[in-house]
Amino acid sequence: MTQFKLNRREFLGTTTAAGALLTSPIYLRRAHAAGGEVNVWTYNDFVPADFKRDFEKETGIKINVRLVDDQGKQFNLLAAEAPNPTVDIMTVAGHRFLQFIDSELLAPLDTDRLSNWGTMNPVFSESDWSTINGNKWGAPILSGMEVLAYNKEMVPPEDVASWKTFFSDKYKGQTAYTIQDMMSIVMLMKGYDGNMVEYLGDPDKAASIVAEARDFLIEKKSIVRKYYDSGAEVQQMFVNQDITMACAWNGPIAALMADGFPVGMTIPEEGSYGFVYTYNIANNAPNPDNAYTFLNAILASPEIGAAMTKASGFISTFNGADAYLTDAEKAASSFTEDELAGLKFFRAEANEMKYGLVDPAVEAIKAA
Amino acid sequence: MNRNTRTALSCVFWAFVVYLFVPLILMIVMGFKDSKFIGFPIRSWTLDWYLGVFDDAEVLQTFVYSILIAVVSTLISVLIGTWLAVLLNAQKFLGRAIIYGLMILPALVPGIISAIAFRIYARLLGIEPGMGAIIWAHAIHNVPFVTLVVMARLSTLPQSMMDAARDLGADPLMTFMRITLPYLTPALIGGSIFCLLLSFDDFVRSFFLGGYDPTLPVLIFAMLRSGMSPEINAISTVALILTAALGIWAERSSRRLKRENK
Amino acid sequence: MTNKRGPTTAKAISKNTGKPPFWGRVATSPTYQGLCALIFTSPRRQFLILAGLPLLYLLTQHLGPMLQMLRVSLMDAYPVAPGHEGYVTLENFGRFFNEPVFWKPFFRTLIFAAAITVVTLIITYPVAYYLARHVKRDHQMVLLLLVLIPFWTGEIVRTYAIMILLGNNGAINLALKFLGFIDRPIPFMYTGFSVSVGLIYLTALYMLLPLYSALEKLSKNVTEAAADLGAGPWTRFWRVTLPMSLEGIGSGSVLVFLISTGYYGTPVLLGGPNSTVFAETIAGFFHNAGDEWPTGAAFAMIMFVAALAVAGGLNRLFNALRKGDT
Repeated sequence: MTQFKLNRREFLGTTTAAGALLTSPIYLRRAHAAGGEVNVWTYNDFVPADFKRDFEKETGIKINVRLVDDQGKQFNLLAAEAPNPTVDIMTVAGHRFLQFIDSELLAPLDTDRLSNWGTMNPVFSESDWSTINGNKWGAPILSGMEVLAYNKEMVPPEDVASWKTFFSDKYKGQTAYTIQDMMSIVMLMKGYDGNMVEYLGDPDKAASIVAEARDFLIEKKSIVRKYYDSGAEVQQMFVNQDITMACAWNGPIAALMADGFPVGMTIPEEGSYGFVYTYNIANNAPNPDNAYTFLNAILASPEIGAAMTKASGFISTFNGADAYLTDAEKAASSFTEDELAGLKFFRAEANEMKYGLVDPAVEAIKAA
Repeated sequence: MNRNTRTALSCVFWAFVVYLFVPLILMIVMGFKDSKFIGFPIRSWTLDWYLGVFDDAEVLQTFVYSILIAVVSTLISVLIGTWLAVLLNAQKFLGRAIIYGLMILPALVPGIISAIAFRIYARLLGIEPGMGAIIWAHAIHNVPFVTLVVMARLSTLPQSMMDAARDLGADPLMTFMRITLPYLTPALIGGSIFCLLLSFDDFVRSFFLGGYDPTLPVLIFAMLRSGMSPEINAISTVALILTAALGIWAERSSRRLKRENK
Repeated sequence: MTNKRGPTTAKAISKNTGKPPFWGRVATSPTYQGLCALIFTSPRRQFLILAGLPLLYLLTQHLGPMLQMLRVSLMDAYPVAPGHEGYVTLENFGRFFNEPVFWKPFFRTLIFAAAITVVTLIITYPVAYYLARHVKRDHQMVLLLLVLIPFWTGEIVRTYAIMILLGNNGAINLALKFLGFIDRPIPFMYTGFSVSVGLIYLTALYMLLPLYSALEKLSKNVTEAAADLGAGPWTRFWRVTLPMSLEGIGSGSVLVFLISTGYYGTPVLLGGPNSTVFAETIAGFFHNAGDEWPTGAAFAMIMFVAALAVAGGLNRLFNALRKGDT
């Protein structure tokens, strides 16, 4: 069993130090009188089991967790339920914000009601992508980024210094990526803004950039082994040695590393993109007060952040969370200063234009 | 039949069975791997995953939930499907092609489209997401399969039997009950097993129409986010053993019934 | 086959109670006879009652969701953002016909579905035949169950099992390397081969059951009679067994073809960069940023109509073949 495994089954388990995770401040005691429930849609293990148990005990509010596994499905689900959703809290990936907000599926966050807002690293909570129309729309909890993952036993470190080697003939038939994610990186590789915010006023330039990236990927189609969609696939490909390099999110790769598989990850010199998972409150949610109670409680301490990192492999946005991680976990979730310097965040402003161009390009690449 | 033909056919049959069982064996074996991921080589083994399945109330609950949905939706499907098969088996009538097309409609639609269509339609009809909605969607989706299987069998029912029954004074309903229905038994059993399978394994419809209780495939898919693990393999193996046991029990009891009736 | 009247009479006699058997009582009961009088007055009324309820069901439950989907495919946006006036448009359909990039996966899917149907038929026919004809009746159910049990595993878990079977470091490659047949692994995965291995697993079931059902009722008498008349084994098969099992082949093939056009999970997991299926294209409209439900719905309609057309043609073909042989 690995250190990353969170024990979901508590029947025989002992009460861990999790009891200390929740102090019992006034806002929780007040909620106890209300009782009721809060409905949460999130990814597997994003609500730590210890936290859930203690929260329910402290407040009497039942947490109903519904598991989602991707953003598109979550959007579809919520769209099908609007304007009367059954959910209170959702987990939106930062760059999907606009899509949800434009469809009026989210309620703006009243940060005054969240006394623990300060637990989060302002790099995430106060960054420019998180404030839209003057409001905050979500509390960032976990951060991920696209990395160049490689099999340490088969790929020498000098080959991962740049994204260019990823497309070289040396690794023909040994690479895998998600086309959509790769498009942003290719644009970055060629020196353009992968978020396309710079070209908001110049649609022609945007179109030509996307076309250039698309043609590049079509030209390099013979090099790739597989276009994949989910983290589980790329993990399996590494384990099965079907690939030696991949463009992947750091979460799944970190999980591989924690399991002892000889895989490494890096952000090459051209840079990469990152995103942030946030907890958001649904527009016209059935239990808004309980939602705020839940949010404030989960932001309470860095230990909760560390628990989320342990389970998912993504980096916690909480200040000081890495103090609670083991060395292996820390290694699997940290990057050098140089690497971080090259990291950019996904921005949502130009998404409509960007994906309007990128999605057809993806189809074209698949069909080529 | 020719000796050689029999041996050759036997080889094909057992080769097919091997093909079917190899992934299963891999799945069972991987459940013992002491790691977070499946794959070769297996460096250390553990029983923790398998034992953990019985400890996990969530998994067991989900399993029962899935079975319940499968059984109820199958009963509904078989009822509707048989009725449709009888209707469609009648001699040419006006609009038969249309009815056939309508009948087979749910089978044509790709899974995700079907699921979203049902979701929207459910709102129109006022069906809340949850167990009832899933049963409803599964039942409708499985009807074409039952109908086709029953139709195939029904078409081979010798007209002479029906004529004989009529000559002996039986009305159509009686004929159906006492001749057609028993004759259809293999098709009904086959159709039922089909439906149970389809419902139990279904993911998209269960995901879109489900409430806060996941069915087993939905739960597994969510767990997949953390990678395909031996834990998932162990859960699937246990689910398989339990459903296989149910299948065998059903076959045994149906065989006993048949023997009693002879 | 025993006389259908035999068992019940035997039961009545063996019970020796003097009371008529269950069905006899039902048939003579006044409620039942009243019911029959009501339903069976005329063939027309009998048919109306037979067809009425199913028709209602079909229109509301089968057609209903699809009509809703059609409605969505004609809208310009879904979900409709509040304050937005939706309008009817054909541009979603137009997108398919105007952009050749979608045609390749579309036709590739149709052709692939046809190929899978044929291969599945070739593989499962002998299996069904063996089961139906060469195995004792009692054992048939057991063997059938044996064959059915693997289908009870979840598709995703089984697909990953196929991955670790066919992967570069998978069971087959490891075995081959161990036996010294190869030095470097054979890349089985992410090819048409791996997709077929995964898909046939799914389609075999849909082909096997109708085939078995049809072959099972074939009386040995007919083939024995043919043998008596001097027909060799191949002739017996080709001129007697095969034609008589056409109904099973027909319904199995139609089913498998239709379903194959819609497969999403397995081809996506096991396929390579050159085996995109159309269902993946459709799913893309519902998944990715952009979330263009109406376009996805329109494409689904197009695929559905095409699949229906082919299936209708297949059905006609099989009906013609059957009629031709009687």
